[in-house]
Parts: sequence; C-alpha cells; structure tokens
Amino acid sequence: MDTLLTAEIVANSPQFRRKSSIFVDAIHDLPEKADLAPAQLYSTESGRLFHSGRIVIITVGLPARGKTHMSVALARYLRWLGVKTRIFHLGDYRRATIPFGEDMPDDYFYVNASASSVLLRQKIVRKCREDIYHFLNHENGQIAIYDAVNPLASGRRSLAKEFAKHDIETLFIESWCDDERIIEENVRRVKISSPDYISWRPEDAVKHYLTRISSRIPQFQTMEEKDLNYIKMINAGERLIVNNRSFGYLSNRIVFYLLNLHIKSRRTYFVRAGVSREVGSYKTDSSLSEQGDEYARKMTDSLLAHREAEKQDMIDRGDPSYEPRPLKVWTSTRRRTVETAKYLYDRGYMVRQRSQMSQLNPGVCEKMSERRIREEFPDEVAKHELDPYHHRYPRAESYHDLAVRLEPIILELEREQNDLLIIAHESVLRVLYGYLMACNAADIPFLEFPRDEIIEIIPESYQNEARRIHIPDLPAEIIPASPEDLKIPVPSSGVVSPIQGLGSPLDGAATPQSGYRTPSGLRTPREPERISQQHVEDVV
Amino acid sequence: MVPSNFTVQSDDCKICVVMVGLPARGKSLIAGKAMRYLAWVGIPAKVFNVGSYRRHNTPQPAATFFDPHNAEGERMRRAAAEAAMSDMLQWFHDGKGVVAILDATNSTKKRRQWIHEKCREADIETLFVESICDDEDLIMTNILEVKTTSPDYKGQDPELAALDFRKRIRNYEKAYETIDDNEKHYTYVKLINVGSTVIINQIKDYLSSRLVYYIQNLHIKPRSIWLSRHGESEYNLTGRIGGDSSISERGEAYASALPSLLRKSGVPPNTKIVIWTSTLRRTIQTARHLKAETGFEKLEWKALDELDSGVCDGLTYEEIAEKYPEDFAARDEDKYNYRYRGGESYRDVVIRLEPIIMELERSENVIIVTHQAVLRCIYAYFMNVPQEQSPWMEVPLHTLIKLTPRAYGTEEKRFKADIPAVSTWRGKGTSAKHQEFPANGQEAPLASH
Repeated sequence: MDTLLTAEIVANSPQFRRKSSIFVDAIHDLPEKADLAPAQLYSTESGRLFHSGRIVIITVGLPARGKTHMSVALARYLRWLGVKTRIFHLGDYRRATIPFGEDMPDDYFYVNASASSVLLRQKIVRKCREDIYHFLNHENGQIAIYDAVNPLASGRRSLAKEFAKHDIETLFIESWCDDERIIEENVRRVKISSPDYISWRPEDAVKHYLTRISSRIPQFQTMEEKDLNYIKMINAGERLIVNNRSFGYLSNRIVFYLLNLHIKSRRTYFVRAGVSREVGSYKTDSSLSEQGDEYARKMTDSLLAHREAEKQDMIDRGDPSYEPRPLKVWTSTRRRTVETAKYLYDRGYMVRQRSQMSQLNPGVCEKMSERRIREEFPDEVAKHELDPYHHRYPRAESYHDLAVRLEPIILELEREQNDLLIIAHESVLRVLYGYLMACNAADIPFLEFPRDEIIEIIPESYQNEARRIHIPDLPAEIIPASPEDLKIPVPSSGVVSPIQGLGSPLDGAATPQSGYRTPSGLRTPREPERISQQHVEDVV
Repeated sequence: MVPSNFTVQSDDCKICVVMVGLPARGKSLIAGKAMRYLAWVGIPAKVFNVGSYRRHNTPQPAATFFDPHNAEGERMRRAAAEAAMSDMLQWFHDGKGVVAILDATNSTKKRRQWIHEKCREADIETLFVESICDDEDLIMTNILEVKTTSPDYKGQDPELAALDFRKRIRNYEKAYETIDDNEKHYTYVKLINVGSTVIINQIKDYLSSRLVYYIQNLHIKPRSIWLSRHGESEYNLTGRIGGDSSISERGEAYASALPSLLRKSGVPPNTKIVIWTSTLRRTIQTARHLKAETGFEKLEWKALDELDSGVCDGLTYEEIAEKYPEDFAARDEDKYNYRYRGGESYRDVVIRLEPIIMELERSENVIIVTHQAVLRCIYAYFMNVPQEQSPWMEVPLHTLIKLTPRAYGTEEKRFKADIPAVSTWRGKGTSAKHQEFPANGQEAPLASH
C-alpha cells in the first residue's frame, strides 16, 4: 500500500528518522523531541499514560477492507492524545524481504503452504515482531499497531499468547465487510491506481484484483474468539461488536474513536475568514468589510473552479462517471466566518455553524499591538517565547486549550462523509491542520495560512497529503497572516508556511525550500512530494 | 457590505436516550450515571423515569399489574409512558437541555417504534441502550438491591418484595423483544452481561458516540469508592497553597490511622481495594501505611495532582489577596471558571480528570487519596453537585468519605479519624483566611441522592 522507499526504511533501518516536511503527513515519523503531544493533558515519567500498560493492536481483515486507513487514523488520534504509538505494516517488511521485482510465492498465505513459504513467512513476521518489542520495551512506546491480514483464528490466538509472555496486552481490530460497494470503492481508491492497472477499465481492474485476493487468501475466519479482546467493525463502522475481556482505558477510548471513523476518502479544505470591518477586536463580532466580501466571492470561485477542474481531470483519465463528493461548509459562529460562506450558501451548499470552532481567546491581549504587549507584560512575553504552544496570556487560551476544546470537531471531522470546507480563524486552522498532518505541537503556533491560498488535504490510506490552491487577484494587504488579528508575539522563526516550513526546525537549518518569493515576501512552497503507490498491494 | 440575513444550520442536536431491558438489569443505574456524567461535563441532561409517573396512580402495584394480559395494567402503563414522553418533549421544547434519558423497560418493538416516531417528529435523535443479562448471580444482586431501595417496595417485607419482584420480571419476560435486525436502522447499543459484549449500531453523531463511550465503561457490580484528602501537610499548617510539602506530625498520625478507619467504614470480607494517590509527596505518604498493612495494589496518577495555582503556588490566601487583589476577587466571583495565572481552573481539572472518572467507572473498589480541589471535582461527579457549588464544598482533612453507588443514587458516609487538623476551607467573599466550616453544616450531606 505504501512505497518501496518507506518499506525499506521501516524494515531495514528501524532507527532511521525521515526528515519531516510539512507537505507530507508526519504520521510515520517518530517525533524527535520528547515533546508533549498537541492534546496531551500531562506527562508521566515512564512516558506512558493512563496506567494502561503496553498494547499491541492487531488488525484483522482481507485486503481492501480499510485496515491500513484505520491503523493510520487511529495512530493519528492516539498520538494527538500523547500516547506514543507506531504502526508496523507487515507488508513493508514483506516487500523489504522479498527483493523488488520478485514475486512472493503463490502459496504464501495458504494454510498448508510449502516449507519454504512457511520459513519465509516466519522470517518476515519475526523481524516485524522484534521491532515491535524494541519499540515497546526500549523506546517507551505504549501502543504498537501491527497491520496485517491475520486471517486465521489459530494464528491470532498464538499471537496473543506470544505477546502475553512479554506482558503486552493485545487488542484485535477486525475490519469486516459484506457490502460489495464499500469493497469495490476501496479497491478503486487505493489498490488499482498502480502502474499494473494502467489502461485497464476500472471495473475490470477491480474484478481482477478481487479474484487474485481470493485465490491468494482462500481462507479467512472472521473473529469469534471469545477469549480474546477484539473490536469488529462491520461495513466501515455501520456496526461495531466489542468483545471485552479486559479492556482498559485506552481500549475503550479506541472504541470511542472508531465510532466516529469511516473509510471513505473525502477532502478537507481550509480557508481563512475574510477581513472584517472592525479590525483587531475579539469581543465585537463584526461583519465583513467590502474587501472581505470580495475575498469571499473570489475564494468561492477559485474553490469551485478547482473542483470542476479535478472532476474534468478524472473524466479525462478514463472515469466518465466520476462525481466529486458533495461539499459541505463549516464555519465558526463568529460573523465574519459565517459571512465568508455566503456565496457558497447562495449556490446551495450546506453551511453549518460550529460553536467550538471560535478562535483562540486572546484574553488581556485583545486590541493590543505587539509593542504594547511587550511593554505591559514583559514576563508573559518571555514565558510565551519559551513555550508558545502551552503558554497562556492572562485570561487567554493557549493553543493547547484550543486543541483540547476542538476534540469534538476533530471527531466530527473524521465522521463527515462529504468533502468539507472549513472557514475559520487562523488559530483554529493551525490546530486542525496540525491534527491532520501530525505536526509537532511546538510547530503548530507557527503555521501560517496566507489568505490567497486554499489548503486542500487529500487523505490517502497510508498518509494525508496537503496541497494549496491559489486564489488570484487579491489585494496584497489582505494576504499575509492575520493583519487584522492580534499580534501575540511569538519568536521569529524561519518557519513560514504550513505547507513547507515545519521541516526546518527539525532539520536544524531554517533554509527555505528552493522557492519563489511572492511580492509580499511569502515563500511559495515547492510541489508536494507525492508518494504514490508502486505496488498493486502487499498481498497479491 | 454583506447582509447576514441568511440562516445556516446550527449544530445543536438533541438526543433522547431510550433505556431498554428487563427489570433488574441496571437500567436506572446507567440512566442516573449518564445524567450525572453529562451534567459534570457541562451538558444539561435529565432522566424521565416512567415508573415514577406510573406511581402517581399505582404507588405499589402487585406483580399482576405487569402481566401483558392485564388490560387495565397495560392501559395505565401506557398512560405513564405518554405522560413521561409529553413532559420530555416539553422539556426539549423549552430549551432546557440537550440529552433526555427515558428510563423504562421499553420492552416491545411497538413501544420503541412509537418512541422513535415521536422523537423524529420533534427533530430529536434517539439512542436505544439495551441491557441484557443472563448472569443469574448478577440479576439476584440487583433484585436484592432494588427491593431494598425502590420506592415500589418501601416498607414491605424484603422476602415478599423479592418474590413479587421476580414475578414482575417474569411478566415482563412474556412480552420482551430484544432489539434485532428488524430494528437495524435505529441507533442502538446492546450491552450484554455488563459490557462483556457490546454491539453498537449506526452511531450518527459525536455526542452519541461520547455517551456510548461512557456507558461502555460502566458496570453494575456492587462496590464502594473511598475518598480521602492527604493528611495535614506542613503547608496546611502555615496556610500555604500548592507546593509539594510533606505531611505534618498530625498528618502522619492520620496516615497511621487510615487502615483502621477504612476497616471501620465497612469492607466486605475478601474485598480487593486498589489505592490511588497523586504523584505528590503528601498523598503518597498518607497512603504509605495503608499500602504496607493491606498489601493492596497502588497506582500513582499525575491526573490526581492538586489544582495548579500557577504564580500563587506556595503563597497564603493573605499573600494572594495582597499581591493579586484582582485575581483574588475574580476567583470569588466565579471560582469554577477562574484560572490561576499560569495555573488551572476547576474546569481545567474536570477535563484532566475525565480519564480518571472513566477508569473509576471501570474499576470496582478503590480508595483515592488526593487533594482538596480534585476531591471536590470527583465528589461532585458522584453526588451531582452543580458547578456553582462544587468549588465551595467543605471536604475536611482527616475524614474518610465512603460512596456506594445504588440504583437510585449514591449513598454517602463520612468517618472522622478524630485527629485534629487545621481547616483549609474559606467561605465565598470572606477574608483571606482559612476558617472553620459553619458548624451547623458540618454533618449535613452536601448533596441529595
């Protein structure tokens, strides 16, 4: 499901840390700093939270049932809460062990496989398991997600026994589907975009793929093992069956998260609200200015044009029936975000106000210039510069407060099945973006969302990808980061754009990407390093 | 200028939680707990108990009243359900809350369909919560519990009451229909044998998922929770707040007395109790002898640490009033929401205690040794104390509080160690000193059941 590159990294050099780039979802990176996670409530000496011990989550399910998607989404949420989590995709290990270009043996998944296949299987699983033990025993890891097919009850039982010997709890999560449409959509979306299927008709490719799977994995037993802890997700979350032998806090919390998850692929767009009439005031909830209104109109045009172009592109690529998912709009309850949605509303798009999405409360800093804040609260400024993510000015909220407050929005975001445009204050966009792209907490306050860009997040099952869509012809003065907002001082940093800069502090050098500079001095990011799929899939 | 006269859909969804299940399956316990949990996290909720509507006309009905063939009984039970439904719809209509819990057996498909339709007409989401249990021991425990605490059997011979109650259950069983595939379009949760198997179907919004998450942590086994503050600390003696000081001599005496105080409070034989403390010295020291004498397992929780008083840490109330007069006044104004500079508010503490509450619900017998503000928050959860009151409650030092959840509320008992200690309580709007709690309030229960 993922690339050769990542496969090799994970399998051959477990200590390797990929350089972070904000273009790319950091969910497969290991955070370098022992920093608090964005929504972490407190830290402990062991690095493990909630007295929950160490857990291996073991996925169960045939290919194209959304296992990897689920694993990645779950890891994203757990890390957000501060639980040290890492995913181990068995497919990565298999690909790293079996040289590129060589096929895996036909009987690899058979119950009565040949001796050489059994040996190969054992070798691959052993390597993966060793890395899991290392992560849990020596790297303060708390949750390891073991992403594999695990089709047989006997195999699952022996896994549970094996981990129990090391005092590690197991939680199985099965993704089970009897709705052909869900399976087909999944195959179309993540399995057949590979070179192998170029110039195939999508229907034929899906059929071919599914036939290959069923000959490869002739036996699959759904989970009925009453002695194991398991969660069975039926038809992408329509129903969950929980078999609770000894669920701890985290296992229950995982159920909670899964209740909000689905496996459909939809896009999220982020835009800023337009400029308002009364600038800099948090309490007066003022309307959009003329410029703000113009921005709302141009933003709407750009977004809809972009969606139209994407649709055309899909049709040109041989999918004449392609229809984008319907678009929904969420705004905060503040007037200028609601009004920024006006033109979309006029064209019949559904707009929903979310009260939790109101901006960071600036407390005493409201309406103050940066200079005045520095004069009046020098101590607070000093503290803020030390930890801009957690520090609160008097009566103000910190980013951490905002992240905790946004949890319902994050779960609703996972729950939403339509494409979604979020119009909000930059502080809210920072936190939501930080969640979707697994940013480091310390970097979140520095993300910037220039007004002439729509950020588009495209979920792929292995990781999310961020792109930006330019909004042309906006007056230069409204583009930069929050001219009308509070200038709560933050240390100057080389980091500029959400799409690009975050890698810099980690790399140690704040070198901007080789980029062009816009007249306003903002850096334009390079094109996203798209990680595309090289393989038809791990199993087939 | 942009006219803002277009309306958009707002995100307030209303939910009716509909309990389903035979009598003695812990429905009222779950309903009551869910209501308290929601109130504790700031979501207004109310239980509508159909039984209490029925009791208006038939306060203590015999088991035959519940026979499905008893037309008169059927009619009256239907009337009670309608009255409860109508009050509930009115309650939603008046904007009084977000979650209503309809506590009744709701044991037939017909009844559930009726509820679902009524709610749909009023734009209210329904969430059915069915509790199924075939563990006879557990049912018996529940029957014994109900016959001693239910208003239906008040003042009756317990043996006869239990017998009658079992007959009543049998009558319900005749007509009971579990939620099945014909109802798969409903949002529902099925709890089988106290959550050992849970089936969750068609959850459609965040709040429902959160409720399910909470309910999934619940069990209905009998147990108690003991709460104690740490023994008097050196900071208590000098009137300082926060810090990480050791316990005083008198605090040490309390620590030594704690094991016998616990025994005195009534611990059923062979009961395993887990000891929870914060990570601060004074609670660990207070639990030291208890741990040594009983050998019970002990967990230290960072989340149980005292409310962080930020810049005021280590100051006395007098010093705070002097150094930060505005803050001192602001705190009296709205103590629940007031956040110390660089520190926490009660609201913040409630957020960080959420995992503790979930873990407490999953656990059985637990004794918690923690701090005044944290204890107030935990106590408020179990006893349903409103946010305006909870930060002002008196929780004296050297006193063990025993809470026992019952179907119709939480039972509270307090045990004083008879070891003197300073008071750390301060009344609203009073001078900056610790003072004695008004004597007449001393023994009064802080919340009704």
